[in-house]
Amino acid sequence: MSEQVSRRDFLKLAGLGAATTAVLTGCGPASRYVTREPYQQMPEYNLVGHSTYYATTCRECAAACGIVVRTYQGRAIKVEGNANHPLNLGKTCARGQTSLQGLYNPDRVTDPIKRSVRGDVASETMNWDDALQVVTDALKNHKPSEIAFLLGTSADHLFDLVTDLANSTGVNAPVRFGALSMFEARATLSKAAENLFGQAGLPWFDIANAQAVFSFGANFLETWISPVSYTRGFSNLRKAEGLKPRGQFVQFESRMSATGARADEWVPLRPGTEALVALAIGKLVAEHHGMEVPKIFSGVDPAEVAEQADIELEALEHIAKMFAEAKSIAVPGGAALGQSNGLAVAEAVLALNVLADNIGKAGGVYLSPLAPTETEYQRPASIQEMKALIEKMNAGEIKVLFVHGGNPVFELPLALNIRGALGNVEQVISFATFPDETALESDYVFPDHHFLEGWGYQRVATGVNLPVLSGAQPVVSPLYNTRSTVDVLLTASQAAFGNALPFKDEVEFLHSKVIALMGEAGGSFSATDEESFMASFQQYGGWWKKSNGTTSASDSNVLDKTANAEVAEFAGEGEFFLVPFVSPTLGEAGANKPWLQELADSTTTVMWNTWVEMNPETAHHQGIHNDDLIKIISEAGEIEVPVYLYPAIRPDTIAIPFGQGHIAYGRYATTTDENGNVLQRGANPADLLSIHFNEAGDLAFAGMKVRIEKTGRTKPLSRLESRIGVYNEGMEGH
Amino acid sequence: MLKNIFDWLKQPLGLIAVGIFFLSVFSVALYGISTTQQAPAQPIEFPHKTHVGFGIQCLYCHPGASKGPAAGIPSQAKCWACHNQIEKTQTSELLAPLKNAVLSGESIQWVPVAIVPDFVQFNHRPHIAAGKNCEECHGDMSQVTIAENPQVFNMGWCLDCHLKNAGDDVEKKTKLTDCGTCHY
Amino acid sequence: MKIDLNLVGAKGAIAEAAEGKWGMTIDQDVCTGCQACVAACAMENNLSFVGEEDAGYGRTQHWIRIERFWEGEYPEIKATPNQPMLCQQCGHAPCEPVCPVFATPHSDAEQLNLQVYNRCVGTRYCANNCPYQVRSFNWRDYHIDPFHANMVDGKLVFALHNQFNPDVTVRRRGVMEKCTFCIQRIHKAQDTAKAEGRDVFDGEFTTACAQACPADAITFGRVDHHESLVSQLSHHERGVKHLEELNTLPRVTYLKGA
Repeated sequence: MSEQVSRRDFLKLAGLGAATTAVLTGCGPASRYVTREPYQQMPEYNLVGHSTYYATTCRECAAACGIVVRTYQGRAIKVEGNANHPLNLGKTCARGQTSLQGLYNPDRVTDPIKRSVRGDVASETMNWDDALQVVTDALKNHKPSEIAFLLGTSADHLFDLVTDLANSTGVNAPVRFGALSMFEARATLSKAAENLFGQAGLPWFDIANAQAVFSFGANFLETWISPVSYTRGFSNLRKAEGLKPRGQFVQFESRMSATGARADEWVPLRPGTEALVALAIGKLVAEHHGMEVPKIFSGVDPAEVAEQADIELEALEHIAKMFAEAKSIAVPGGAALGQSNGLAVAEAVLALNVLADNIGKAGGVYLSPLAPTETEYQRPASIQEMKALIEKMNAGEIKVLFVHGGNPVFELPLALNIRGALGNVEQVISFATFPDETALESDYVFPDHHFLEGWGYQRVATGVNLPVLSGAQPVVSPLYNTRSTVDVLLTASQAAFGNALPFKDEVEFLHSKVIALMGEAGGSFSATDEESFMASFQQYGGWWKKSNGTTSASDSNVLDKTANAEVAEFAGEGEFFLVPFVSPTLGEAGANKPWLQELADSTTTVMWNTWVEMNPETAHHQGIHNDDLIKIISEAGEIEVPVYLYPAIRPDTIAIPFGQGHIAYGRYATTTDENGNVLQRGANPADLLSIHFNEAGDLAFAGMKVRIEKTGRTKPLSRLESRIGVYNEGMEGH
Repeated sequence: MLKNIFDWLKQPLGLIAVGIFFLSVFSVALYGISTTQQAPAQPIEFPHKTHVGFGIQCLYCHPGASKGPAAGIPSQAKCWACHNQIEKTQTSELLAPLKNAVLSGESIQWVPVAIVPDFVQFNHRPHIAAGKNCEECHGDMSQVTIAENPQVFNMGWCLDCHLKNAGDDVEKKTKLTDCGTCHY
Repeated sequence: MKIDLNLVGAKGAIAEAAEGKWGMTIDQDVCTGCQACVAACAMENNLSFVGEEDAGYGRTQHWIRIERFWEGEYPEIKATPNQPMLCQQCGHAPCEPVCPVFATPHSDAEQLNLQVYNRCVGTRYCANNCPYQVRSFNWRDYHIDPFHANMVDGKLVFALHNQFNPDVTVRRRGVMEKCTFCIQRIHKAQDTAKAEGRDVFDGEFTTACAQACPADAITFGRVDHHESLVSQLSHHERGVKHLEELNTLPRVTYLKGA
C-alpha cells in the first residue's frame, strides 16, 4: 500500500465509488420513471386511494360460497368471504383465496384460437366475428340431435341457458361433469336420499348441532360437497365446553384423510366392509337400547363383521355404545361410496340415522332445500351416464361437441378413452379459459371470461338450510380478448335458429331468470322495481329465503328393508387396495395456481407433486424407502409415483391424491425439462381406474386392487416438514 | 505486477491520474444526483401556476389527500369538465394531448413527481389532519409549471419534521418515530 | 398466565409489559389444517411462491404454516391437534438483539416485532435465533423471475403482478421477512378510526388468516383491552403459550383441550 493513499482512505474512496454507482443505477431517473394512468372516467363510488369491494360468487368448486373481492384502481387484490352470505358467513377456503391466481394467470387463453391438428399446441388466433360464425355454422349445419354440450359443475346460469336452448331447439340436453362429483359419488348420495326422503337431492348433515359424528369415509373437511360450510359445522361440534371439545368424532376409513386426522377415534377398517360395520353398529345400538333389532340390521353378526373389517369386537362395541348414548349422526362419503356396494353403504349409514331418530331434526339429516328458481335437484352426470355419452360419440351420433367449465380429458378415467371418443366427433369447440388437456383436443377454443370477469348466478345445492341463489358479477373488466360463452351462444343461436333465445345479452338473460324472485315473500331483500331488485341482487351477492327450506323425511320404511350385507367386490389383481382421493389443497382444478401448489398437504406436507402413501412397515418389508419411485399397476393402466411413508394407512392399502398429472393446463400445472419441453407434473391416478360401477352408476373408484413394482429410481418430494429424524433419515452417524 | 502499478501511481503523473479519475467519478455522481432532482417530462406541460392562479384549491383536483393514502391524479373527465367550456382548449397546441385523450378515450400517462420508494407506506390523510399545508412538502405550486420537488423526500427529512411535531409528547413521539409507522 | 417481571431480571429492562398490545389466539381443537389461512396470508401479503425445487430446500415463504405431529404407531396412531405456527410477536424477541443493522426493531407503538426490509442486509442471524422458526428468507428475486412472465410486444409482462397488494412492500432478494400481524390492516383501521374521531373497536378488522379461517379458529385483537374477545380467550384455562420458558413473552395463545 502506498504512503499517499492509505488503506483507510482507499476504502473510503472505494465506498464512495460504490455509493456513486448506487446513485447512478438505483436511484437515478431511469428507475423512478414510472407512469400513472388515471381513470378516464372514474366511477363515482370510487375514491382515490381507497378500495372498492364487489360481491360475487366463487366458482372454484360447485359449493357456491359468496365472496367479496377487494379491487383497487381496477385490479382485483384480494378475495374475502361475504359475511352476509348464509352458506359461508364470510369465510373462504384456500382454493377460493387463490382464485385471483387464476384470473391473473399468465397461461390464460387470451384470444379465440383455431387448431389445425388436435393435440398439437400450435394454433392460430382468430377474431370473434369468425369465431361466432363457426359456432353459428356448427349449430345450423347439423341436426339438433347431433349437437351436444358437456358442461362443468359450476356456472349454473350457462347450464340454464343451454337447457333452454335444448328445450326450444331439440339439441341434446347438457351433460354436467366434474372430477369432484365423481369422487363424491353424488349420484349415490342422491339415490340414497331419494330412498329415504322420497325425493332426489343431496342430504345435508347438521354436524354442528350433533354430539357425536360417525363418518364413513366422508372427507367433509377437505373438498367434500361444501367444505367451508361443513368446516363451520365441525368447528361448532368441537368448540370447547370447559376444558374439552364438546362433541366427539369417529372416522372409519382405511387411509387417514385430513378429516380423519381430526377424529377422536380413527378406525382403519378393511376397505369394502363399511356397509357391514354400519349395520353391525346399528344392531349393537338397537340391542343397547333393548329394542327389537330392525330388519335391516338383523342380518349381520357383529363378531363376524369385526373380523371381516379387521377391527376388534370391543372397539366396535365401544363405538356402538358411544353412538347409542349421544345425539349421534352418521355421514357416508368419500371412498366408502366409491365401491361396488357404495349405495348399500349409503343406505346402511342413513339407516343408522333413522335408528338414531335424527331425520329432519337439529343435529340430524335433512334433505337440502332446492335453490330458488329450481324445480328439481340437477345432479351432475355419473360415470355410467358419461360412458353412455362417450359411446354415443364413438358411434358417430354426435357431430358437434361444445365443452365448457370442465376438463374431462384429464378428469375422466383413462380407461373410458374420451380422447379417442373426441376423435370420432367432427367438431369439438371448447370455451375453456385455460389451455387444458380438453382444449388441446379441440378444434377451436373460444375463451370464456374468468368467473371474476363475468356475470352469472350459482345455486347452493347443500350446506345450509335456506334456499339460496348466489349472484355473480364482474369485479374487474376483462383482461383479454375473451367473450362470455352465454353471449356467444345467444348470438350464434339467434343466427342459427331465429329467436330461440330472445335475449339481447347475458345480463338480459340473467334478468329474465332472477326477476321471478321479486314477487316471492320471505326473501333476504325486497324491492319495488326491477332495476333496484337486480342491483340489490348483485350488491348483496344473491337472494335467499330467510326461513328453513329443508324437507323432513316422508314415512320411511328404511329400517324394514333387507340389507345387502356383503363385502364389496374388488377388481383386478394385486396385494394392495387402491384409495384415490382428491388432493385437499388442489381440488379438481387447482394445479394451475402456483400458491395452491405450494400449500403443504395437511397430512403429508408434500408440495408441487403426486405421492403414494404407504405404511412404513409394509415398505420396510418390500425394501422401499421414502422418495423411491414405484410403478403402480392396475388392470386398467400403470403410473409411476414416488413413495411417501405414511404412518396412518393400513398395511394392505396404498393411497394416491388426485389433482396433479397434467400435461397441459399451464406452466405451473406442468414441468419442463432443460430444453423447455413440457412434461407431466406428478401423476394422475385416474389413469389407473378401471370401469366398474356401484348400484347407482357412480364409478367404483376405490374398488380396485393393484400391485406395485420397484423402478430403482427415486424422485425427491418437496415437503414442508423436515426429513431429519423421520424414519431415521438424515440421522446417519447420530 | 501490482507493485509496478502502485510504483507508477506514486509518481506525480500517477497522482494526477488518480486525481482526475476520482474527480470524474465525483462529477458523474453529482450529475446523477442532480438528474434525480429535475422534474420529468410530462405528456402535457401542465401549468400548475395558472390553475393555482385561478384560485383552484389543491384538493379540488387531488381530493384523495384529505381522505386517504393517495392524493390521486384527476381523471381526464375532470379536466374536461372545465376545459370543454374554454374556447382556447380547441385551438391551443399545448392542450392538444388532452383533447386527443378525451376524444380517443385513451388515458394520459402522467409521470409522478413526488414519489417515495416502494418500501415506504405514506398516507396523506394524517398529514392534512395534522394541519400540514400541501406546500410545506410539495412547494409553492403558484410558481411552477410542471410540478417539482422542492426537497429530497428522504427519511431524515421526514423524521426531522416528525420529531419537531411530536415535541415532548412521549406517546406521539413513539408513534411518529416507530419504524413500523412507515415501513411494512 | 402471570409473569413476574422481577424474575425477568436484566432482560426486564427491555421487556415491555408482559401483556402487549395486539394478540392472537388459535383454537387447536377446531383447526382442520385446511390451509385457508396460509393461502389468505400469501394473497394479502404479496408472498412469493418459490417453486418445487426451492421448496424442497426449505425455502418456502410461508408466514404461517400448519404443523402436525404423529403420536403412536399404526393402528394406534393419532395426529395431534394441528398447530398453526406464525411469528409470535414476542414481547422479548430473540430475533431482535442479534440483528447487526437493527433491521428487526421492536415497535414501541404497536408492540410488534418489525422487519424493516430496506434496512435488512440478509445476515439471517434473526432466523437462526428464532425458536419458532417462522422467518423466511428471500433467496432469489422470485417475483421477477422471467419464468412467470409472458413476452408481449418485446416486453416481459408479469400478469400475476396485477394482484399485488399496494399496502405491502414487495420484497426483493436478500431480505428476511415474516408475519407482521397484518400491520397494514392495523394502520388502516387506526387511520379510519382516527378520521372518524373514535377508537378502533373490537372486531372492526382482523388479520387475513383469521378472516379466512372457515373453522373460526383464529381470533385477533387487543390483548390489553380486557373486554375484547381475544383477551378473554387468551386468559382461558386451555391457553398455552409456546416456548414460554425461554422468556420470549409470545403474543399468540394456543387453546387446546386438556
